[in-house]
Amino acid sequence: MAFDPSLLRSQFPILSQQVNSHPLTYLDNAATTQKPACVLKAVHDYYCTSNANVHRGAHFLSDKATNQFEQAREVVQDFINAPLKSHIIWTKGTTESINMVAYGLEHILKQGDEILITSLEHHANLVPWQQLAFRTGARLRVLPLTSAGEWQEEFASYFTNRTRIFAATQVSNAIGTHTPLKEMLLRAKQQGAFTLVDGAQAVAHYPVDVEELDCDFYVFSGHKMYGPTGIGALYGKQHALEVLIPYQTGGEMVLKVAYQATEFNVLPYRLEAGTPNIEGAIGLAAASEFLNKQDRNALLEWEQKLANHVYTRLKKAGGIEIYSPEKHTTLVSFSVPNIHLIDLNGYLDGQGIGIRSGSHCTHPLMEQLGVHGTLRASFACYNTLEEADRFCDALFDAMELLGDE
Amino acid sequence: MSEYLDIKKQLQACRSKEETFKSLVMLSKQLPRLSDDEKVEENKVKGCESAVWLISEEINDSRHFKADSDAKLMRGVLFAILSIVEGKSVADIQSMDIQAELTDLNLSSYLTSSRSNGVLAILEKIIAS
Repeated sequence: MAFDPSLLRSQFPILSQQVNSHPLTYLDNAATTQKPACVLKAVHDYYCTSNANVHRGAHFLSDKATNQFEQAREVVQDFINAPLKSHIIWTKGTTESINMVAYGLEHILKQGDEILITSLEHHANLVPWQQLAFRTGARLRVLPLTSAGEWQEEFASYFTNRTRIFAATQVSNAIGTHTPLKEMLLRAKQQGAFTLVDGAQAVAHYPVDVEELDCDFYVFSGHKMYGPTGIGALYGKQHALEVLIPYQTGGEMVLKVAYQATEFNVLPYRLEAGTPNIEGAIGLAAASEFLNKQDRNALLEWEQKLANHVYTRLKKAGGIEIYSPEKHTTLVSFSVPNIHLIDLNGYLDGQGIGIRSGSHCTHPLMEQLGVHGTLRASFACYNTLEEADRFCDALFDAMELLGDE
Repeated sequence: MSEYLDIKKQLQACRSKEETFKSLVMLSKQLPRLSDDEKVEENKVKGCESAVWLISEEINDSRHFKADSDAKLMRGVLFAILSIVEGKSVADIQSMDIQAELTDLNLSSYLTSSRSNGVLAILEKIIAS
């Protein structure tokens, strides 16, 4: 079926509202996306027809809930092309997934080992590694990627025989850079390091194939790909997941418990202590199916067209500092010299336009760019060209209103 | 007091967030700027996304305030807040419902506890002064 933006948009109930007497223009999709009716219905139906705790009770509802919950795992497995469903661990989201790996790998690190990340990471893919380094005496190193994200031969020297963990984002949340993932993963694997890819900003836009990426761990959040908040996944290769020491223990993750010893359950349950977020898993599966039903290439082309349109208009207007590279993802990050971010944001909010202003949880990157923060307009499949123009026009009006001193 | 009534009239006439925003930008021009010597760390209000400085002193049992920000929107909000509390006694300020006054001025949407502004932090600093 050909891609029709207005038809797609009509599936998102929240988008038809007025905000501050203007039609809502939601351009903060890199923070979180809105949810289509099919996701809302899946969560609602689960509570109306199937709610029970999973994996325990031998009764009708428990079986039904368990089946739906485990089917959801298979849907997400297919969505990222993981070889086995036991390679999908449910988590609260990207942040918990990364923490699970950072705690789970603590036992393999010793003084002098190196953890390598890039200069484009979100705090979620930085602080857990920094703290892991503090706990173990390992050294946190930072590959100095530029905004353009191009691979440079001198980067190779950052991958050493002491690199035990390499963690990188697929695309930058703050400025929309594609990282040179292929080149970096290749070097990391040559050194025998565990590799983790932060896919939080990628999954909604780019079809993901973890087998092709060939990383040890891939992490993402449901809420950034049209699914509910509070659910995400950690994908890991069999051997990589087996190395992880469970960072949470308790019910569900055990086979046999005595006072002196506990036998842990098999994967994926070994890493899923406690009652899981059942509705979240079902909602995330519904979001994956929603995306599967779309022509993903057409969606990406559309989102890219919107971001490119804004990029071009801002560039042409002049007086705007653009931080996103020419070859950017589906977002544009910028600031206007001498006008405060919250002034611009305040004006746009009055026009019903929601974008993000601030450091985007990337303090070191902002320092590298020499700014306190930026404004970020980020697009999703339901945005329209009219919205892109409404945003640009409002921004130019704001600059006129706020520019004089 | 007449200044406060003027501001009140102006802000209450706003029919949309857009108009309120424009009014605040206009009001921001009336807030005297602080000198660089006054814009120091100890005068900073923590918890604001923009930098906000607030100074107060007591003369003859009444509190006098000066404030500044690097954002116009916040300077407008500060001007409105100071028009409510300027020259009042500590006891008066502490017994006032400043949030209700600001709501009356059409500024309730700036009273969010979100980290994006810091109006609540400003009010706390005023009450503690």
